[in-house]
Amino acid sequence: MTAIAFEPHSTRARRRRIAGVVYRDLAAMRRSPIRVFEILFWPVIELVVWGYVTLFLQANKVPFVVSMLLGAVLLWQVLHRASNEVAIGFLEDVWSRNLINLHVTPVTAGEYVTGLVLFSLIKIAGGLAVMVTLAYVLYGFGLFTVGIGLIPFMAVLLVLGWALALVAISAVLRFGEGAQVVAWSLVFVFQPVAGVFYPVSVLPEPLQWLAGAVPASHVFEGMRAVLGGAPVPWDTLAVAAALDVGYVAAALWLYGATLRHARSKGRLSRFGE
Amino acid sequence: MAILEAQSLTKRFGPVQAVDGVDLSVGEGEITALLGPNGAGKSTTLHMLLGLVTPDSGRVSMFGLDLQKHRTEVLSRVNFSASYLGLPGVLHVREVLNSFARLYGLRDPRRRVAEVAELLEIGPLLKRRTSDLSSGQHTRVQLGKALLNDPELLILDEPTAALDPDAGERIRNLLVSVARETGTALLITSHNMLEVERMCDTIHFLAAGRIVASGSAAELAAHFGVVDLEEVFLKVAREGVPA
Repeated sequence: MTAIAFEPHSTRARRRRIAGVVYRDLAAMRRSPIRVFEILFWPVIELVVWGYVTLFLQANKVPFVVSMLLGAVLLWQVLHRASNEVAIGFLEDVWSRNLINLHVTPVTAGEYVTGLVLFSLIKIAGGLAVMVTLAYVLYGFGLFTVGIGLIPFMAVLLVLGWALALVAISAVLRFGEGAQVVAWSLVFVFQPVAGVFYPVSVLPEPLQWLAGAVPASHVFEGMRAVLGGAPVPWDTLAVAAALDVGYVAAALWLYGATLRHARSKGRLSRFGE
Repeated sequence: MAILEAQSLTKRFGPVQAVDGVDLSVGEGEITALLGPNGAGKSTTLHMLLGLVTPDSGRVSMFGLDLQKHRTEVLSRVNFSASYLGLPGVLHVREVLNSFARLYGLRDPRRRVAEVAELLEIGPLLKRRTSDLSSGQHTRVQLGKALLNDPELLILDEPTAALDPDAGERIRNLLVSVARETGTALLITSHNMLEVERMCDTIHFLAAGRIVASGSAAELAAHFGVVDLEEVFLKVAREGVPA
């Protein structure tokens, strides 16, 4: 009676370990109706509230508001959920005092994060499917009117959300469980300068400079341009993608450095107490 | 060749010298205990051996591989169980074990989970949530998790702390048979001196982060001029490091 394992550095072993993270989270979701409920609850609430606000504004002859605000709500959810879902996946290991069990397995930090990211994609896809359907049924807004640009728009926001999640995870590793508030709130720090619901041009000039360094601002500006009839601004998207690369690189560096620091200071052990 | 070699491990947390020059060697099939009063440095030592804590100085190698440089290879051949660790409470026991079997890169997770469940007699628990388990059942599931990858080195922090005497005895017998039959090396900490006397080939006493005495239970009792390990423990804990 022996356990037969793949060679630890083989691709199959890596895939199997990442699948272990995804399997665990999927099983947890299956066992907890609350988790399924929360995939839908906030996105639906936001969609309904903002949807009726836009209908009210439209009735008062404010042009373009339905498509632009609903598009903003839907794309904001992509960023928000990408950040939260990955951070929550990590926090669930903290809450259940399972983090040490994970860190003594052969799973690498990269494989663990990859598993969390893949699971977040599944949850985001589910939540978004419901929102897109509701937006069409309730308000006649088809997100796909954004066209082919929708894919890079979403990709930029997803990657930014994952980078922010890594920063939140790093904060918890560095400062302990009390820092979990960062996981819930970090994405909102970016909201004012991301130009989600208004053009960046309405911001004061210093904030406009800041907005230029936030990938999400280029996405929301681009979305408004496309919904206003302009072609997809690929040059702006390229800038956003380049910024994303910088954000991810910085977040990965921070995560690695924080993990090393946590091991050095014995903080990782405290997550088992 | 030793399964585990630790040389001159030291770790300081602020003003506290948690571990101070610990040398350890554990051979194939050997059962070794690390004993000492609370705060002696046992858990910090175990956590350094598992890569959870980076030593300030010293070196850990297992199977001839340096832990820092070969983390993935080493950890795929080691496992750990501690009574203070949790498991995802919402999951069924089968799902927890299936997920860990994947995390250890096993080819056939379901088959291995079934084997471990039979070995630890936790089959009836497989469809229960881990949050619904008693502490004794939880310990058995943690041990099941720790046996999934058929480890060559099993590190156990208080393996029977939450078990009743009957369950504790059965787990001890199981662990001894695993060590003797498969050659798995065991490194345990425990505050149950009788357990250590019965199970362990070699015992290291830690006090103030240093190993102050090593040997079999009988050798240690003779060395300290007492009748059993319990008295050795009390002597070390109350009188400090002997000259």
